[in-house]
Amino acid sequence: MSIDTNKIKKVDCLDETCPVPLVETRKAIRKASPGDIIEVTGNHESSKIEIPMAVEALGLELLSIEEKNGNWIIRIKIPEEK
Amino acid sequence: MNKKLIYLDNSASSRLDERVLETMKPYYFDTYAVATSEFAYTLGILSREGLDEAREKIATKLGGSAEELVFTSGSTESSNLAIKGVVKAKQKEGNHLIVSKIDDFPVLNSAKFLEREGLKVTFLDVDKDGLIDLEQLKEAINKDTILVSIQHANQEIGTVQDIKAISEISKDKKILFHSDATHSFMRLPINVSKIPVDLVTISSHTIHGPRGIGALYIKKDTPIKKHIDGGFQENNMRAGVENIPGAVGFAKAVELVTEEENDYIKNMRDKLIEKILKEVPATDLNGHRSKRTPQNANITFHYVEGESITLHLDMNGIAVSTGSACFSRSLEASHVILGIGGDHEQAHGSVRFTFGRFNDMKEVDTVVKVISDVVKRLREISPLYKKEKE
Repeated sequence: MSIDTNKIKKVDCLDETCPVPLVETRKAIRKASPGDIIEVTGNHESSKIEIPMAVEALGLELLSIEEKNGNWIIRIKIPEEK
Repeated sequence: MNKKLIYLDNSASSRLDERVLETMKPYYFDTYAVATSEFAYTLGILSREGLDEAREKIATKLGGSAEELVFTSGSTESSNLAIKGVVKAKQKEGNHLIVSKIDDFPVLNSAKFLEREGLKVTFLDVDKDGLIDLEQLKEAINKDTILVSIQHANQEIGTVQDIKAISEISKDKKILFHSDATHSFMRLPINVSKIPVDLVTISSHTIHGPRGIGALYIKKDTPIKKHIDGGFQENNMRAGVENIPGAVGFAKAVELVTEEENDYIKNMRDKLIEKILKEVPATDLNGHRSKRTPQNANITFHYVEGESITLHLDMNGIAVSTGSACFSRSLEASHVILGIGGDHEQAHGSVRFTFGRFNDMKEVDTVVKVISDVVKRLREISPLYKKEKE
């Protein structure tokens, strides 16, 4: 699947602890445009579980959770029609 | 995102009632002039009449007279005026003020400001339910005490102080008494003709009235100096063009609150407390069980943080507030929960639910169901909870 890189909105939450990554993710979701992909990077373990919980509650699509060198990257799809 | 919002933060601010808005509209579009005396144009006189009528209605509800009510921009300004105004007027007679440790910020921070200016301030302790000790109050009063300021009901835990007893103690010692009734006005009876209270702070925003309008009741002949200079509005007590649409809306909001509504709100609140304490393990009610405002429930969910609960409830369409202030990244715990003897864990896990006119019983069931699930899931990732289970 090819992704339009202009549609990726990056949120850097490295070294931030709970609940800051969730707060920043929510802010990015609120400001996103239809079709955007929110890409959150962090390393706080609880947030890795909390953010998908929020994605589920909001009825959004969780594209992936990737782990690399102790960091995680969560990708969330904003529907074409918000 | 499209879920119907369940709003349970009515003590922070409540949704305006449409009937209030309709009452206000003519004062924006028709009778929009500044309030004037009989010696000016008719539109200004009509504005004045609207303002006077609003003042009369609210003062009557409080048991006072119209001349004793000063409109302000809200409870923050009212409490500032009460405390700073009295201290300024009586500074030659004494330099001691008494407040409670769990009063709201307008009172606490006014007291702290005056303390930095040289005033002596006693911050009274409260018990585990949030009540002050009347004997401790009597002991704190000395020959230099000029004002006692104790809230009627607490903003976070809803505990209601015995302001009749407090006002009688103050009167007996010939000391002025101010009470911040922002969270009790119209939800609980308060009558200044029956209680010897000298100053009362009230606000519109918690009873489905407009924001930006409040009032301070000042008993006739109370020594007080204004702290906003300008014109001679509000009986020369508060300068600035009057917020007439706000005052008229405030009066309408007062008129719309009924005893039946307060019972309706209390029933929802009671059901919420009962169900949460029964269905969600490791929960505690904060504040007094019966001496509390009908709209307030404040519950600590142990092993989880209030901000996390608040965020997850929000994403499930439920608005509540927490005694924890991690959003500012300062991790400050609620001074109220700490004041009643709670530790940081209890303070950070506390959630406040405050009901209003537009809530219904079905919402209580939904909230309990969602919060049970959210708390359960948050505990699964809580290091505190894991430690407790080990």
